[in-house]
Amino acid sequence: MLDDAQSLARALKRRDPDLLDRLIEQYQFRLFRYLLHLTGNPQTAEDFFQETWLRVLERGHQYDGRWKFEAWLFAIARNLVLDWHRRRKPQSLESLAGPDEDATPFDVADERSESPLEQVLHAEVRTGVQLSLQRVPAIYREVLVLRFQEEMQLDEIAGVTGAPISTVKSRLYRGLDALKSAMQGGAA
Amino acid sequence: MNGDVHERAARLLAERRVVTLAREDEQWLATHLADCAGCSAEDVRVAEALSALRAMQISVPRNLAGRTQLRVRLRAEELREHAPANRLVWAVAVMSWIFGLASAPLVWRGFEWLGGELHLPKLVWATGVVLWWAVPALVATGIVLFGHQGRTSAE
Repeated sequence: MLDDAQSLARALKRRDPDLLDRLIEQYQFRLFRYLLHLTGNPQTAEDFFQETWLRVLERGHQYDGRWKFEAWLFAIARNLVLDWHRRRKPQSLESLAGPDEDATPFDVADERSESPLEQVLHAEVRTGVQLSLQRVPAIYREVLVLRFQEEMQLDEIAGVTGAPISTVKSRLYRGLDALKSAMQGGAA
Repeated sequence: MNGDVHERAARLLAERRVVTLAREDEQWLATHLADCAGCSAEDVRVAEALSALRAMQISVPRNLAGRTQLRVRLRAEELREHAPANRLVWAVAVMSWIFGLASAPLVWRGFEWLGGELHLPKLVWATGVVLWWAVPALVATGIVLFGHQGRTSAE
């Protein structure tokens, strides 16, 4: 992994266009999904998606290969979103209480083969989780997504969010708690 | 007391999803879950929710990667075009520093002589030396910064 990361770092320093094409292709789904969770809006997420890759091109020399590439990539995306929030209102992700009242969950597109009944049941669970997740405050939602959707290690999440590992852990505990409460609220 | 047990179970269940539990905690939790239908059901519910979160699919806008690749390639082209100009600016800056340092004693003597001829106090002609050094650098910095800002806002 380290060798891969080191060769990636060297190629990013060279601004190798073919490598960037491959990376954009490879991470398009995960990065877009993460940005969608952060912004709650597909159009905004798309803008930040493009901005993130431009930043990767420009600041590629700063990636030293010590982190996994996706942690560095997500950290760039997160910082861009935070800057945007700060420009709009003087606040950080920590102070974002949650999504807009009228926010709708993301479009679900599942391409696995399931029976129609399974599809309905699974879609219900997923929609329920999406709705519950939307009710979790952004600061906790973010770590839940990084941990359980992106399957990042605690130190990688700490790297992305710029928070100490102890803070990441406590946000995860609170996030799980908030998710449980949101699910109970949704079920009621 | 009974509530404490369930609270402990809830806390350990959350911890188990984040870190590895100590063996005795793990054992205690397994025993508790075997006996407590409520906590066990809660555990299953959260596990299902997290599993659904993992499997969550979203629709990516059409041709998002293609459009991004195009923008990145155009920007890379732009950066390559600017690279020689940037190198030239750096080269000029380095040369200017070298000549500046080399000529510093002469400039000092020149201002000293001029100050003496015009009967100026030392503070005035020494300020002249400082300005001689600082003004071109400040102007150049301003040009570079405004140029960069202009390019950024144009994008």
